[in-house]
Amino acid sequence: MTEGRSVASFAARRTPLNAAALIQLAISAAAVAAMVGLAAWATRGRGAPPLTDTEARRWLADEFPGLAIEGLWLATDGKGAVAKSKDQALVLSRMGDGYAARRLAWSQAVAAGLKDGRVRIALGDPGAPRAVLAFTKWPPQDLAA
Amino acid sequence: MKHFDPVTLATPFFIVTVILEIVLARLGKLKAHYETRDTAVSLTMGLFSTLAGLPVAGLSFAAAIWAYHHRLFTIPMTAAWAWVLVFFLEDLTYYWFHRLSHERRVWWAAHVNHHSSQHYNLSTALRQTWTGGVAGTWALWLPLSLLGFPPAMVAIEKGVSLVYQYWIHTEAIRRLPRPIEAVFNTPSHHRVHHARNPRYLDKNYAGILIVWDRMFGTFQPELDEEACRYGLVHNLGTFNILRVAFHEWIGLAQDIVRSPRHTLGWLFGAPGWTPDGSRDTSATLKAQWAARQAQAKPAEREAA
Repeated sequence: MTEGRSVASFAARRTPLNAAALIQLAISAAAVAAMVGLAAWATRGRGAPPLTDTEARRWLADEFPGLAIEGLWLATDGKGAVAKSKDQALVLSRMGDGYAARRLAWSQAVAAGLKDGRVRIALGDPGAPRAVLAFTKWPPQDLAA
Repeated sequence: MKHFDPVTLATPFFIVTVILEIVLARLGKLKAHYETRDTAVSLTMGLFSTLAGLPVAGLSFAAAIWAYHHRLFTIPMTAAWAWVLVFFLEDLTYYWFHRLSHERRVWWAAHVNHHSSQHYNLSTALRQTWTGGVAGTWALWLPLSLLGFPPAMVAIEKGVSLVYQYWIHTEAIRRLPRPIEAVFNTPSHHRVHHARNPRYLDKNYAGILIVWDRMFGTFQPELDEEACRYGLVHNLGTFNILRVAFHEWIGLAQDIVRSPRHTLGWLFGAPGWTPDGSRDTSATLKAQWAARQAQAKPAEREAA
């Protein structure tokens, strides 16, 4: 049965973890390290600037179109912000040179603890489990109610 | 026939072109945005994607062999017409695989990581799934073997498609000549596919030929007035590679545990589906966007 043999030999050649495959994996891993190093060199000095009030509002308008912002608090290191919209907190946190945004109940956001100058807000999302934002005071005194 | 794997053969090309894109972008010779940790995640996902497929590789291969043994016709691997035919049929299969991978949550859970970068460059192409085998979408290609295409032929054609789709993950190429844009999937068409703008969601599922999107109503050209914003509707807040690979599976499991009587809905509903409609799907996001556009137009006319 020629077809059976050709299928069997095809399967044998596809045996995954033979020596050649391991060498190829090792070379690929080295290449990945080199490319990441190159990316680090190429983007040196080109990090995202600290978030400004205007930029934060632009991001929030993109992420949560139509929601009115009643208050906005920028993280002291410019790597995020929390905004209040009615009974919701809109949270922006730096992700590389972009941002991840989530909304949650305002009461949940203000309940987050401040420790070592960082507020850790649990976002309840496996893809963004928490936002860690630098604040000197939390919750904001003016709109914490 | 000697074993032929287009993806393995193309790997040096992948490496050289990523390096070129990074260096030329740094020198200001072309448009490309890289971020170090984002690049690391993309390339590491690609590196381990082949290993991640191994647990199910035997099953999928055995299934293809079984289908081939029960084939309707015997299609010769040496005939040119057979290669032309498998090219079109594999590409059509890819279209539906890709569409299901976006429109049904269980398959989106496997595919989402490919879309999880906020960047669009050649490294993004290599951000491949670790859970595609488990998701079982390989079964969509079994009819080709049942029809009579040797499994090796189907595997090669799948590899050709994957290699083709590599080079279209770039912002360096703006538009190609119109006849090419009309027929083939191009960087411009695929940028739309990776965009999170509501207008662009769930569009341009093509592998090699964009004609399938035109035929099935999912084509959306890239518009000069609306720049693509890349990533997910809810972008990831972590570079933890395990979370990148598995976050949607975790979310899916949490939803099923929370409300098991809606398991079918969680699995086969659109991403974002909930029993009470409390989350957004692509359809609701598009509807909200269309409503905002409709509201904005009279206001613009009044202002004019």
